Amino acid sequence: MSFDGHTHWGSIAVGTPAVDFEPRPADTLSYRSDTVADGWSTGELTVRLASVRGYAHRYAGLPRQDDAAVVHHPASGAVVFAVADGVSAAPLAHLGATAACRAAVGATVRALDAGSPVEWPTVMEHAAWQVVEQAAAALKLGRPDPERAEDEMATALIAGVVHPAGAGAETAVARVGDSAAWVLRDGRYRALFDPKVAVIAESAVTALPRMPAPDVRGGPLAHGEVLLIGTDGFGDPLGDGTGPVGAHFAVRLARPRPPIAFAHDLDFSRETFDDDRTLLAIWPRQMS
Amino acid sequence: MAGIRGTLLPVYVLADESHSMGRHIGELNRGLADLHEALLGEPMAAAKVRFSILGFSDDVKQRMRLADLRRADRLPTLVTRGRTNYARAFADLRRRLPHDVRALKAEGYAVHRPAVFVLTDGQPSDDGWQQELARLIDRRITPEAPNIIACGIGAARPETILRVATRPEFAFVALAGVDIGVAITQFCSALTRSIIASVPARNAGPPRLVVQPPAGFSMAIDVV
Repeated sequence: MSFDGHTHWGSIAVGTPAVDFEPRPADTLSYRSDTVADGWSTGELTVRLASVRGYAHRYAGLPRQDDAAVVHHPASGAVVFAVADGVSAAPLAHLGATAACRAAVGATVRALDAGSPVEWPTVMEHAAWQVVEQAAAALKLGRPDPERAEDEMATALIAGVVHPAGAGAETAVARVGDSAAWVLRDGRYRALFDPKVAVIAESAVTALPRMPAPDVRGGPLAHGEVLLIGTDGFGDPLGDGTGPVGAHFAVRLARPRPPIAFAHDLDFSRETFDDDRTLLAIWPRQMS
Repeated sequence: MAGIRGTLLPVYVLADESHSMGRHIGELNRGLADLHEALLGEPMAAAKVRFSILGFSDDVKQRMRLADLRRADRLPTLVTRGRTNYARAFADLRRRLPHDVRALKAEGYAVHRPAVFVLTDGQPSDDGWQQELARLIDRRITPEAPNIIACGIGAARPETILRVATRPEFAFVALAGVDIGVAITQFCSALTRSIIASVPARNAGPPRLVVQPPAGFSMAIDVV
């Protein structure tokens, strides 16, 4: 990690960087960190996770509205995760994102504990209802109100599980909204979900507590591959991975780096890409 | 979409240059200069905006096209001339917007829905402009259909301003003494933030709002 020159934030520039400035504090009643960095390994899998406040939110003094949760389920060896992207028009979206992640991971772990297949619509429904309950608590509504929850805490969610299998792993990923998943191998990104292809970049996003049938993808993850789960703050600048952002990550995700370096890599600066970014990376470990 | 260069918001000022605007044209030009200065003070927003200025009367004159205002020394000035032909103005936008969106995409950008600020005294001298406006804002006919913010100047007719704006909250009538440049700047800044901000997709049809706790739900999470 190197910080060139006397900059406020020391981000890695990819192409033309955004204007450099000292971020403002987040205008929230409860504490919300600018950056989350996490990482660990089980016997079979290595995990890195980072969630960074976008430059627009840093500039405006708003909280990071993305969040994530990732846990190990020892009995099955699985890694269970959720990544949420709070809808920016919802004032308490950061709380909705946190609630949705924790509820989704909790519901998935309960299914694994019971030895049942994970039912992704049920997981999403638990997350959606947690958002409704949290909105009722935060706003002191007296009773759950899904429409108020949508106005105040709407959040996109992508959740999944990675099971060790042979020399690699087996993945399942479900989403509501426009977060996405990729498998990176030898510098090439394979998108698990259909990419955005609209004439106009629309700002409307499907988000909990609204409940479409979740889009579920998955498949094997081989040694030498890394599963990436990211919010659109990562996915939009990545595009199909053939540009400079794809090259930036292809080098840095070839093998696990320290969690702080991983977060710094994610916090790259590129003009107009100022959304919150969250990225989870899971590598099958080399078995000796 | 290869690694895209950025996501841009094309903003158009469509200014009425007809003779009936004569008393206000100086104020509009000062307003544009203020807008330029104010956007320079909002670098995050300015980086995302590509700015065009169109003057319209009997025809449309392009005064500035898809400019990055951070790299513009000064903005062009508007001049009064001719009558107020709305149909020509909306027809010009209907050709121009798809062309501009394609051009920006060819440069490697993703593009937000264009925003058009119409500054007019709301007294069109032509008929048939409503049909041209309807074609411009119908997203099935014009996928690049803009959000239109209509600002009435001087003795503007409110009913015309309301008809031109794509939402009632996008219709304004400038009060005497209000600095139109400051008003546009504030609106432009708010629009840049709000258009770029994600919003829940409410009218997508089938997705239902969850209305009851699922079986086995536990409320054991405190995130506040």
